[in-house]
Order: sequence, then structure tokens, then C-alpha cells
Amino acid sequence: MIYSSKYVIDANNIVKIYQNGSEELKVLDNVSIKVSKGDFMAILGPSGSGKSTLMNILGCLDLPTSGQYYLDGLDVLKASENELAEVRNKKIGFIFQKFNLLPRLTAMQNVMLPLLYRGVDEEEAGELAKEKLTILGLGARLHHRPNELSGGQQQRVAIARAIVGSPQLLLADEPTGNLDSKSSREVMEIFKELNQQGNTILIITHDAEVAGQVKKIVHIRDGKVYENN
Amino acid sequence: MQLTQLLKLVLINITQNKVRTFLTTLGVIVGTATIFLVVAIGKGGEARVNEQYSKLNVGTIIVMGSHRGRIVDPLTKKDAELFLKSENIAQAFPILRGSGNITFNNYSTTGNFIAIQPEFQRSNNLTAQQGRSLDKEDEQKRNKAAVVGAELANTLTDGYPSEIVGQTISINNRRLTVVGIYNRVGDSGSGMSYDDAVFVPYSVGEKFLLGTRANPVINVQATSMDTVQAAISDITNILDETHRAGGADQFRILDAGSRLAAAQESARTMSLLLLAVAVVVLIVSGIGIMNVMFVTVKERTREIGTLKAIGAKKREILGQFLIEAVIISLTGGIIGVAAGFLALPVLSCFELTALPSLSGVLLGLIFSVVTGVFFGFYPAWKAADLSPLEALRYE
Ligand SMILES: Nc1ncnc2c1ncn2[C@@H]1O[C@H](COP(=O)(O)OP(=O)(O)OP(=O)(O)O)[C@@H](O)[C@H]1O
Ligand SMILES: [Mg+2]
Repeated sequence: MIYSSKYVIDANNIVKIYQNGSEELKVLDNVSIKVSKGDFMAILGPSGSGKSTLMNILGCLDLPTSGQYYLDGLDVLKASENELAEVRNKKIGFIFQKFNLLPRLTAMQNVMLPLLYRGVDEEEAGELAKEKLTILGLGARLHHRPNELSGGQQQRVAIARAIVGSPQLLLADEPTGNLDSKSSREVMEIFKELNQQGNTILIITHDAEVAGQVKKIVHIRDGKVYENN
Repeated sequence: MQLTQLLKLVLINITQNKVRTFLTTLGVIVGTATIFLVVAIGKGGEARVNEQYSKLNVGTIIVMGSHRGRIVDPLTKKDAELFLKSENIAQAFPILRGSGNITFNNYSTTGNFIAIQPEFQRSNNLTAQQGRSLDKEDEQKRNKAAVVGAELANTLTDGYPSEIVGQTISINNRRLTVVGIYNRVGDSGSGMSYDDAVFVPYSVGEKFLLGTRANPVINVQATSMDTVQAAISDITNILDETHRAGGADQFRILDAGSRLAAAQESARTMSLLLLAVAVVVLIVSGIGIMNVMFVTVKERTREIGTLKAIGAKKREILGQFLIEAVIISLTGGIIGVAAGFLALPVLSCFELTALPSLSGVLLGLIFSVVTGVFFGFYPAWKAADLSPLEALRYE
């Protein structure tokens, strides 16, 4: 099942079909995408083109109708439900447009959570969470709940949660979509820095400014991928 | 995830969501308290019946006229003697019953008097707690002696029963001397409380108190519990022969065993009825719990999606929600049982005998956990089956 690959993401001929009653909607049409270690890549495309659908499949939140997908050498489509949960926990850090923090947990507890699911003990998880939050400028907000934080701060908590377990891959679906321009810039700076430290990052965006800051761009239109750099 | 971490997560969710927790718990509290009280009332009812009939001799058969005062052909002392010929009958006593004003000193009350032959006392467990009981001499000499039931003695003396022994009472203005007080015997099985009556010798009742109105009831003892039915058919045959005018149909033949069985049966029916009410209450409160759960299920399903996205396994999610449901429902159950205990004194205001019992407590707790877990866990169980994306997108 594991084969060594220079790609973190090695997806081929991914097809995703949604069934709307009797009508078939082919949202992804034979998409192939490869992401190497250390890449900083953006997926660009009009609304409804299938960006999120692709990202969710790459993030193991959803399964394609057909195709092949190796994530860090693991054949994702043959993995069991529990193995997928472990992949999501250890290999992927997913950042959502709407942050998706747990409202009743503090910033620190939110960040600790992926480590706790991994079996790391509370003390160590707390230390790591504190460290990441402090690096992201939230050292003074450790015990705030999400509704006590600004949008930019919430997204930074979400980024801390995504990176706290040192995953091989960071996926971000319009991470700046709900932020004002100042916060957006801050968040993009964080991503750039993370990439410089060696993190592999794949980001979806509408924003040309955001797209201008990445190393590689993939265009998607009507479920088909067009690559250029 | 370690269990202690899972527990912490659950406790955060419970304490951070007070309104939802309270509403859910409320349903469980009401349901559990109801179950507990219903079982207590049921047990209380059964206990009361058993106590009421505890001194009852199940071999007792009562033969009486079916229409009071309008019998063409009443029972007589002779009938009792004839009954004794049956091999299934050990004893048969005619007794006379009447009612009227019973006066002691200046206190007067309406009550029953019963005229008996002395043997009647032994077979009905009537023993004297003070003074003496009635004897053969009283019967033969028509002594104007009376023995008072324990309750009536209390009533007449305003709580100092011993004052009455040796004194004179009057029944419908006829004076008799009280020679003793009986021990308490409870329900006699003949529909008349012996504790509230005054007893006189049969001959005195016949000639002195009732005269021509004398219309006896015959108290029969079967040789054993098993011969009661045979004794009843013997009695019927004898009555058909000796009272040709109306036959046995003009008399009622009651046996104490059937009365006890009927009373126990009705107590049990009552319990079942109450239990049915309790089950309905539980279902209603369960639906209440489920409503609260479903209102938050959208929010929580998305949360489950997030948890899955960061790597929670299905069993960890199920574990979290199961622990949450158990904690909430068990807490509610314990509070419910406590509330039930607090409500017990209120029930006694309505003259309901309620008997708290371990089985009631356990049944209440089991029901609380079952309903709590069923209704609280079900939405999570459904949500945990969704893919992370479906859960995140849940509408
Ligand atoms: N669960 C679903 N059932 C049916 N159709 C779906 C479903 N999810 C997505 N689609 C369809 O798939 C297409 C692609 O959706 P997707 O969310 O991937 O677009 P997107 O490129 O992310 O758009 P946006 O930039 O607006 O976020 C859309 O036409 C959408 O209607
Ligand atoms: Mg999208």
C-alpha cells in the first residue's frame, strides 16, 4: 500500500460525480494533480468550478467517484475508515474558510485537540499548543473562546490547530475569504513563513493578490485542471 | 484519545451548554420521579391489602341473605347446625348483626353490634387484650355482657380504652356491662370491621337487642383452604333443600380467599395502570429530550464534522456522546429519585400509601439511562456515520 514517492500529493484521473435525481453532475472530470514536498501552490478558478470538491477529496474529507490518490505514499482509496481518520489527524492540516473552531473550547484547547486525538498527553499537548499560538501572536489569548476573538485571530487559532501536529500537508480552502484585507495579508504572511520552514501548502483562493504570492498556480474550470506557473 | 481527556471534553460541553443540559435533564428528572413514585404507590397499595387481610382466615365462608330485610325465608340457627353435617365444614356459627346508638358515659356514636356464640371468637382470632372474652355461661344465662372492639373502645373513651372495662354501655338504650376489649384484628373479610364493633352473646342479641328482627348470617369455617369450594357446594345443596321457598339463590355465599385474591388482583391492576401512565410520561419526556437534542443536532453535527476533519475516529465520537448522554441522564435520574422521595409526603396528603423501594429506585435509574441514552445518543450515532464532509455541510 505504501510506495515511496517524491510527491506529497499524487492524484490521477480523479472523477467526482454528484447525482441530482436522475441527472448526473460531473464536478471533477479526470483531474490529475501532483504536489511535491515544499510546494506552495494555489488553486484558482471561478465559483462552482470544483475547487472545494477537489480540496475535500485531497484532504480525505470525501471520496472521489473514481481515480487514484496517493497521499505521502499511502493509497487513500484503499484505506479503512480508521486509517483515514489517522491520515487526517497526522498527515493533513485542514484550514477552513469559516475557521470551524469548537465554540465551547478555548483557543488553547482547540489547538490541543488534534494532539489529544493522537494520544499525546495533556501536558505535552498544552505546551505545543501554547508554543504555536504564541508564535502566531496569540500568546495573550490562550484562554479566550472563539466568540471572544476577531475573525483574523480565529483563523490564526485554526492555523495553529492545523500545524500543531506537524503534518506533511497543509490544505486551506479560501482561508482569507472571511477576513478583511489587513487580516488576509497577515494570514498570507503566516503561510509564506510556514512554507519557508518547509511546509507543503495547497491553498484555494479567489483573490488575485493572494495568488500572486504563491510559487505555483493550478487553474480549474468546469472540473478540468489547467496547469501553468 | 485518552479516557480522561474524553471525559474532560464531555464535562466542558456539559458545563458550557447549561440551558441545553438543563432542559435535557429536566425531562429525565420528571420521568424518573414518576417511575419511582408509581412503583412506590403500587407497592404501597399491595402492602395495604396484604396488611388489611393479614389476619384473615382464608377458610372462612360467610352465608347471608342477599336482600337485606326482605327475605321471605331467613337463615336460622338450625341452618348452622345442618351445615356441620358436611365433612368439608369444621365450624358454623350463626351471628346477628345490627347497628344503632352506642353510648358510654355521655358519649354516643352510631356503630355496629354483633351477636356471636363463644366459639366464634377463637376461629376469628378475637382475643381479649383487657378483661375477658365472651364464654358459654354468658350465652346460656343470657348475661348482658359486651366485649368492645379495639377501635371502638378508643373512640368511646376518647383514647383511654381501659376506662371502659367493667362499666356500663348502652346499645339502642339497652344497658350492658363491658367485660373486655379485643385485640385489633383488621378486616374481617365479611365487609365489616370487627375493631369498630361491639360483641354480645348470641342469645342476648336474639332476645334482648333484636327480637323479631333477628336475621342471622352464618359464619362457616371450611376444614381447610382446599375444601372451601366443596364446602360452598355443600352449603348450596343444604340451603336448596331446607329453604325450598327461595332456594340457595336468595342467599349470598362469600369466601374470604376469593375476596383476598380479588383485592390483591385489583391492587396489581392498579399498579399496572400506574406503570402504564409512567411509561407514557417517560415517552413524552423522552420526546422532549430528543427535541432538545435535535434542535442542537445541526450545530453538533457540524462539530462532529470538524472533529472528524482533525482526526477523531468514529468510536471516539460515539464514546464522547455516549458518555455525555449517560452523565446527563444519570444525573437527572438521581435528582429524579431524590425529587420522588421529597414528593412522598405530598402523596400521603392525598391518602395514597406510597412505599419507596429499592426496585423503584433501580427501575427509575434504569429507565432514565435507557431513555437518556436512547434519545440523547441517537442523533450523535447518526451523525458519526456521515462522512466528514457531509457532517460539515449538514443543514
Ligand atoms: N453535495 C453536492 N451535491 C450536488 N452537487 C454538489 C454538491 N457539492 C457540490 N456540488 C456542485 O459541485 C460544483 C462544484 O462545487 P465546489 O464547491 O467544488 O465549487 P467551488 O469551486 O469551491 O466554488 P466556490 O468558489 O464558490 O467555493 C458546484 O456546481 C456545486 O453545485
Ligand atoms: Mg469552494
